[in-house]
Amino acid sequence: MNDLTRPRVIGQRTPRIDGEFKLTGRAGYTGELHAEGMLYGYPVPATIAHGKLEALELDEAQAMPGVVDIFHHGNFDTLHRSPNSMGHGDQVSEVRLPFEDETIHYHGQYVALVVAKTFEQARAAAYRVVARYRQASGAVPSLLGRDDEGLPIESEGSSRGDPEAAFSGAPVKIDRTYHIAAESHLQMEMHATLAEWHDGGRRLVVHESTQGVVYQRNAMARIFDLAQEDLEVISHYIGSGFGNKLFMWPHAVATAVAARRLQRPVKVVLPRQQDMMSGGNRPASRQHIRLGAGRDGRLTSVIHDSITETSLVDRYIDSCGSATPSFYACDNLAVSQRILPVNHGTPCPMRAPGEVSGIFALETAMDELAVELKMDPVELRLRNYAESDPESGLPWSSKQLDKCLQSAAERFGWDKRNPEVGSMRDGDEIIGYGMASCTWFAGRQPCQARVELRADGSLFVGCGTQDIGTGTYTIVAQTAAELTGMPLADIEVKLGESGLPSGPLSGGSMATASTLPAVAAAVRDALDALKEVATGNGGAFEGLSADDLEVGQGGLSHGEHRVSFAEVLKTNKLASVNGQGSTAPGAEQNAYSFRSFGAHFVEVRFDPGISRVRVARVVSSMDIGRAINPPAARNQVEGGIIMGIGMGLFEQLEYDPRDARLINSNVADYILPTHADAPEIDVELLDYPDFEFNEFGARGVGEIGLTGVAPAISNALYHATGKRHRDLPITIEALLASS
Amino acid sequence: MYVRLDERYRVTLTLNGRERSAYAEPRTQLCDFLRHSLGATGTHVGCEHGVCGACTVMVDGRATRSCLMLAVQVEGRRVETIESLAKEGELNDLQRAFREHHALQCGFCTAGILMSCHEFLGRVTDPSEAEVRDMLSGHLCRCTGYTGIVQAVLAVARARQNNRQETP
Repeated sequence: MNDLTRPRVIGQRTPRIDGEFKLTGRAGYTGELHAEGMLYGYPVPATIAHGKLEALELDEAQAMPGVVDIFHHGNFDTLHRSPNSMGHGDQVSEVRLPFEDETIHYHGQYVALVVAKTFEQARAAAYRVVARYRQASGAVPSLLGRDDEGLPIESEGSSRGDPEAAFSGAPVKIDRTYHIAAESHLQMEMHATLAEWHDGGRRLVVHESTQGVVYQRNAMARIFDLAQEDLEVISHYIGSGFGNKLFMWPHAVATAVAARRLQRPVKVVLPRQQDMMSGGNRPASRQHIRLGAGRDGRLTSVIHDSITETSLVDRYIDSCGSATPSFYACDNLAVSQRILPVNHGTPCPMRAPGEVSGIFALETAMDELAVELKMDPVELRLRNYAESDPESGLPWSSKQLDKCLQSAAERFGWDKRNPEVGSMRDGDEIIGYGMASCTWFAGRQPCQARVELRADGSLFVGCGTQDIGTGTYTIVAQTAAELTGMPLADIEVKLGESGLPSGPLSGGSMATASTLPAVAAAVRDALDALKEVATGNGGAFEGLSADDLEVGQGGLSHGEHRVSFAEVLKTNKLASVNGQGSTAPGAEQNAYSFRSFGAHFVEVRFDPGISRVRVARVVSSMDIGRAINPPAARNQVEGGIIMGIGMGLFEQLEYDPRDARLINSNVADYILPTHADAPEIDVELLDYPDFEFNEFGARGVGEIGLTGVAPAISNALYHATGKRHRDLPITIEALLASS
Repeated sequence: MYVRLDERYRVTLTLNGRERSAYAEPRTQLCDFLRHSLGATGTHVGCEHGVCGACTVMVDGRATRSCLMLAVQVEGRRVETIESLAKEGELNDLQRAFREHHALQCGFCTAGILMSCHEFLGRVTDPSEAEVRDMLSGHLCRCTGYTGIVQAVLAVARARQNNRQETP
């Protein structure tokens, strides 16, 4: 059988198979879909963040041209909540159902949904809905600027040794607090739902821009009390999602209710403002790090205490310390996590959730320790290198962080760094060099897939996962091509339908490692079925045993005798043979620890005259196992680096300290990196396939590129200016205050 | 003259080389007119206020943000969208370069970026990387990190330059 340790298609540069559709405008994103007789919905968001909706005046809106109905607390169906279980696959982003009661928990909470014949009519009428509120005092506008203790989350804690004693006795100590502002995912395509009921309201089809069709199907089945087979969630093209499309939001429920009541398809595309208010955010965090070390730089104590925001309607935990116990070799360690309810829309995972925030604090603290010790920051990291996972005690399946550090440092020219602050100049600019290590856990989910080998010469693969833009369609096709020798053009991949065999969420960098083994199993199962046909009665290889046959170039062969798959099927008058695959992580999970690691080296240029900082250069090396499609994988890291520049220098959701209203819920005022901010980027993907993790050797690549970027920037800025920035983003105001 | 916002006016334009006609309200934005009334759903809306560039189309040969223009303003004018780039089902050189250089991931911002690049390459035959980045600064892409896009545009410019030199 084909040997995945020496692949021919896997690991090769492959243009994405969905590229043509996206480049010609034919990719059907949810918001662009149209159904016969479709109506448009436009939500009405609360204009206060804390209080009670006292009255809705709907007469004027109801009388507007084209308005069909307005849904709200007094006009909505009685539904059930989703059990919201990750284990049962029905987790939602917000458990509270839309319009459930009249309490307002955050700015942007839906108070009504206007449905009209055209988009313009729905939007105009939504603006004429008059909501009267009683604002309550005591709105909590943010975690930042407060010292609340919040609620402890014991499940996210970890400890070993005696960290407090080791810290107090340490010859060198770092004891610092770091803050990170809330961020918006700002995925380019807003949340969108098109809901359509069939069979007299017994069957629901929902098109949704989602990272999890199966999860949404399961949740909606519970909410609407439907059998899973009476509900289909479809998401063929997704205008990206960085975690905020993992789990369903209330707009989808409201849209489905409207469609059922009006007996017509209803589409809702959230306006960008509402998408930012109520469609998820990365919560703000406050982290207290204490490092104790010997004069030789060896860590004797790591204590990492974090608190992050959640909303008043849900408990979202952004586990900042989850990478910390595995990061450095240190016998004494404690990690704790707390959450503070604030009057915001419910936070949710955003690319590298928790760990990216935790790594900012930890890797900035490590730089502070290096300065204190007058030690090179790379050397400090190598001195505390964890050869096995200090948290589990297990060996790493494959860890090449030392090679990442060495290679990136060389390509960057780290040896030219003069460690003295402000010592490197170019004209009016001060140059700063900084670095940080980064990591993201490698996870794998159960997955099923189905394959058909068809007499028309094509191969079909179906799996209920999604391609959110990362290239999943393409790597699934590469897998089928690898194992059959068929050209990519003959392979049809269908993803993004909950009716397909159950696939994983597109999140946590887990989709590749979860999906490809199931696809491979299904392909092999179909090939076995084909060999059975070929060697059976009237078959093309009648009389031979299946083991005698070789697979390659889209055919079966025995010696010189070769017959294409299609001919094998036609010989026996078959339309197709099928294969099923079902895979899950196994015993390897108890034998190894699985993590990706990497290193970012950053050059900043600071112009003190105008307090301007620019990231000029980023050189990165990533150890992600094998890249299935290297340019697509590299592109994930490059995108993560740009997002990291946003996190480091620009991005923050700003809430009014007086009343917790979100101030900058638009793309003009929420600052993102553009091409003009993009540095020269040099990303290297080390090629150390992780065959302990799965037969493809891939660990996933979606998140890791983002982790470590912001601390590398802040560390470089320290090197340039001598001012330590412990709060993100490092705005022009912060730079002015320090110069 | 006063117009009623919900009154509908017939708008006739040349869309991707074909004369098209549909009704629009005075408040209807061009992006929504294209997508909802003319079926040109390749154009996407990302920010609704002229910042992200996803909805960029060509109006009379100039790259224009279709969320900042009203449908009634294109009466009698020539509009080109992403659907115009491929001829007879064949991707053009710019589209092929985007595919080759992995200049897209989710593809949602791609329609607008392609239209800006299309206009730019028609104007600037030998662009520097800085000029390309400057042109692209009016577009937001949250996925790719921009690198592939810059490479794709430069590759097309170079190839076109070579073609011109070979065919005097």
